[in-house]
Amino acid sequence: MTQFSPSLEPEARLARLARQLDRERQARAQAEAIAEKGLRDLYENQQWLALLQRVTDGANRSTRLTDAMRMALEEICAKTGWAFGNALLVSEEGTLAVGADIWFAEGEGSLLPFVEATRTIAVGPGEGMAGDVLSRGQASWHLDLANEAGCERCTLAVQSGFTAGFAIPVLIRSELVAILEFFSRTPIRVDEQMQSTLHQIGVQLGYVAERERNRAALLHEARHDALTGLGNRKHLAELAAGALTRHWQTGSRLALLAIDLDGFKAINDSLGHHAGDTVLVATARRLERCIGQVLRPLQDRGSSLPLVARVGGDEFVVLVEDAPSADFLNHFAENLHEVLAQPINVDGGQAELAAAIGIAVCIRDRPTIDQLLRDADLAMYEAKSRGRSQTVIFSSELGEATRQRRILEAELKEAIHKCQFVLHYQPIVALDDGHHVVGYEALVRWQHPSKGLLHPGEFIEIAEECGLITFLGGWILEEACRAAARLAELYPRKPLRFISVNVAAPQFLASNFADRVRKTLMRTGVTPEQIRLEITESVAIADPDRTAAVLQQVREWGVQTSLDDFGTGYSSLSYLKQLPFDTLKIDRSFVNDLQSDKSQSIVQAIMDLARSIDLKVVAEGIETAGQGDTLAKLGCGYAQGYWFGRPSPENEAFAS
Amino acid sequence: MKGVIFNLLEEVVTRQMGTDAWGELVDAAGVSGVYTSLGSYDDAEVLALVETAAVSLNQSPGDILRWFGRSALPLLAERYPVFFEDHKNARTFILSVNDIIHPEVRKLYSGAGCPHFHFEDAADGRLLVGYRSARQMCQLAHGFVEGASGHFGQEVEVEHLQCMLKGDPMCRLALAWNA
Ligand code: HEM
Repeated sequence: MTQFSPSLEPEARLARLARQLDRERQARAQAEAIAEKGLRDLYENQQWLALLQRVTDGANRSTRLTDAMRMALEEICAKTGWAFGNALLVSEEGTLAVGADIWFAEGEGSLLPFVEATRTIAVGPGEGMAGDVLSRGQASWHLDLANEAGCERCTLAVQSGFTAGFAIPVLIRSELVAILEFFSRTPIRVDEQMQSTLHQIGVQLGYVAERERNRAALLHEARHDALTGLGNRKHLAELAAGALTRHWQTGSRLALLAIDLDGFKAINDSLGHHAGDTVLVATARRLERCIGQVLRPLQDRGSSLPLVARVGGDEFVVLVEDAPSADFLNHFAENLHEVLAQPINVDGGQAELAAAIGIAVCIRDRPTIDQLLRDADLAMYEAKSRGRSQTVIFSSELGEATRQRRILEAELKEAIHKCQFVLHYQPIVALDDGHHVVGYEALVRWQHPSKGLLHPGEFIEIAEECGLITFLGGWILEEACRAAARLAELYPRKPLRFISVNVAAPQFLASNFADRVRKTLMRTGVTPEQIRLEITESVAIADPDRTAAVLQQVREWGVQTSLDDFGTGYSSLSYLKQLPFDTLKIDRSFVNDLQSDKSQSIVQAIMDLARSIDLKVVAEGIETAGQGDTLAKLGCGYAQGYWFGRPSPENEAFAS
Repeated sequence: MKGVIFNLLEEVVTRQMGTDAWGELVDAAGVSGVYTSLGSYDDAEVLALVETAAVSLNQSPGDILRWFGRSALPLLAERYPVFFEDHKNARTFILSVNDIIHPEVRKLYSGAGCPHFHFEDAADGRLLVGYRSARQMCQLAHGFVEGASGHFGQEVEVEHLQCMLKGDPMCRLALAWNA
C-alpha cells in the first residue's frame, strides 16, 4: 500500500488513524495557541495606541502644561486602572520637584491622607520615586513598594493599599520640566509597549510645555501683551505703584477692576486657539473703547488715563484713579458687561461670552498692589459664582466669608478623612391607599465636630469646588449600597425597597463613573435593582450621548436611573425620550404651587409624557394630604415629602 | 459561547468517558462539532450538548454543567498556569476572576461574554458570590469553585441562597472552605 510501512491489518490501521487524529488535534491546539497570543498582543497594542492617541489629541488642544497633565493623568488611570496619578513641576534648574496639585484618584476617602501628602509635596534629587527621576531624567520603577527602603512616602503608600508605583519624566528635549507618578493597588506588569507609550506621552506633554514656554517668553519680554497690545502685568504693577503713591498723598479713590471672560476656555477648546486669540483681541479693543467713552469725563477733570492690562489668559485688569463713587464704578461695570456680552465673530462660528467683574476700591488705608489685586480677584470669583455678567465690589465681609470658607474647606478634608458623615433616609411611598414605603432617598449629613449636623446645602458646593466631591460621592454610594443590603434583609419581600442616591456632576462626568458604580455594586454585594441613581437634569443634558451611554451601562447591571429636579432645567421633553431613565422626579416647586392651574397642567403634561415613555414618576416636597391626593388624581405613582416622613437616621427610617 | 469552552468540554468528555464518547455526543446532540478555540458559536449548541449528556446519563443539565466545571478546572490550570501562580488557596483565586482572569480572557477571545461576580464577606465568614447572566450558568460557577478548591487541596461547601433558575433577580452562592 505505502512505501513507508507494510500494509496493516484493520486494527492496526485504526490505531494509526487514531494517532493521526491526535496529531491533527495537537496541531490545531498549537495553531490556536499561536493565534491567541497574537490576538492578545494585538489587543494590548491597540489599547495602548488608543490611549496615546487620546492623550496626543488632548495635548494638541492644550496651551498649558498643567491642563494637559490633568487630562493625561485621567486618561492613563482610566485605561490602566491605576488608582492614583499625580503631577509634579520641576523648578530651581532641575533640583526641585513640587506637587502641582494636579492629581487623579480613584477610591474612597481612605486615599485622602496619601493625596494630601502628595499633591503639594516637594522633593529634591534622589528623594523617592520622583527624586529618582529628578536626578536621572529617566523613568523610575518601583514594582514592590512594600520592600522599598528609605522612602517615607512609600510607607504611607503601602498603608494606603498600594503595591506598586513608578514615575516618568516630561522633557523639553533633554530638560526635565515635570514628572508624572502613578500608584497602583494591583501589581503592575511592565512591558515594552507600556514603556514606550508612557515615554511617548511624556514627549507629547513636553511639546505642550515648550509651546507654553515660548508664548510666555514672548509675553515676558515686553511690557505689553504681544497679542492684544494692552499693558501686561509688569506694566500694571509699575503704573499702579505710581497711582498708589498719589492715593496716599491725596486720599483719592483708587479702584481696580478684575475682569474674567466666562466661556473663553470653552471657545479655545471647541474652536481652537486662533478663535481664542481673535476673542482676546476683540475684547481688548472693546475694553479700550468702553473706557474711553465712560471714563472720558473723568479725564476731562484732569485725572490720568485709566489703564487696562491683560494679566493672564483671559483676565484683564482696569485701574481707575479718582473714581467719583461706588455708584459710578457699578455703572461703569454695567457698561463693560453690555459691551462684552455682544457676540464676537470668529472663524468657525460665533463666540458668546459674559464677563465676571470684581472691584477692589481703596479709600483710606495703605494696601499693596498685590493685596488690591487679590481682593479684586476674590470679588471677581464671587461674581462668577453668582452667574453671568455679574459685578461684585470687595468688602471686608466678603474677605471674612472667604476666610470662613477656607476653614470649612480644611475641616471638610478632615471630615472625609475621619468619616464624619452619615446618611439619612427619607421614605418614598406609593400613592395608593396604603401609602406603603417603596424606597428611600439617601441624604448626606455632616456631623460637624462643633457645628452639629450640617445639611448638604452647607458643604456640597465647597466639596465640589475643592475637588473632594468624588471622594464624598464615592462614600455616599458605597454606604447607600450597604444600607440597601441591610434593608433587603429587613424586608426580603419582593419587590425589594430601593435607595435613591444623588450623583454630583463631577462624579457623573468622571470618565470612569460607570466602572466605579460596578465596583461598588460588586464590593457591597447589593441587589443592583435596589439602587437608583439620581442625575439632575442639567447634568444629564450637558452631553446627552454620553449620558445615554453611561446610563445604559449601569442599567445593564440592573441599577435604576432617575432624572432629578425635572422641570427646573431647559431641556425639551424630546431629549428625555432618548435618555434611558426609569424614573423621573418632579421638582418640589410644582408641588408647592399645586393649587395653581398652571402648575397642575404642567404636572399633567409631565404625567402624560412619562406614561407615554413608560417612566415612573416621583413627586418631591409633599407637605399636605391635599397635595398627595391631587398628585394621585393626576396619575402620579410615588411621592416623597414631610407629609410622609422626614429624613431620619437609618434605624429610625427603616423601622417601618 | 467561545470555542474554547467546547474544546474544554470535549477534553473532559474524552478523558473521563473514552475516545469515542465525544463523537457520539456530538452526533446525538445534532450539533456541528466544528469548534476552534477562537471562534464563537451559538449558545444553543452548548445547551444541546449539555442536555443530551444529561438525558443519556440520567442527570439534570445543572449536574452536567457542574461536573463539567469541576473537571475542566485542572485543564484550565494546565492551559493557563499564570492565573494560578499567585494563589495559595481557592478563595483568592476565585476573587481574582473579575479583575484578572476574565478580563484577560476577553483579550484572548474577542467577543467573550464573561460574567462579573459580586463578592462579599458574609457575617458568618462565608464568601458570598453574586452572579447575573442571561446564560444562567451558576452551576458551572459552582463546578469551577469545586474544581478550584480541589486544585488547592481544599474542600468547599456551596449553598445556592438565591438562583435565577428559581426566578430570583440574581444568583447568590455562599462558599465555605474547610481550611
Ligand atoms: C483559568 C480560569 C478561567 C478561564 C480561562 C475562564 C474562561 C471563560 C470563558 C472563555 C468563558 C466563555 C465566555 C463566552 O464564550 O462568552 C467563561 C464563562 C464563564 N466563566 Fe470563566 N474562566 C475561568 C475561571 C472561572 C471561574 C473560577 C469561574 C467561577 C467561579 C468562572 C465562571 C464562569 C461562568 C459562570 C461562565 C459562563 C458564562 C456566563 O455566565 O455568561 N470562570 N469563562
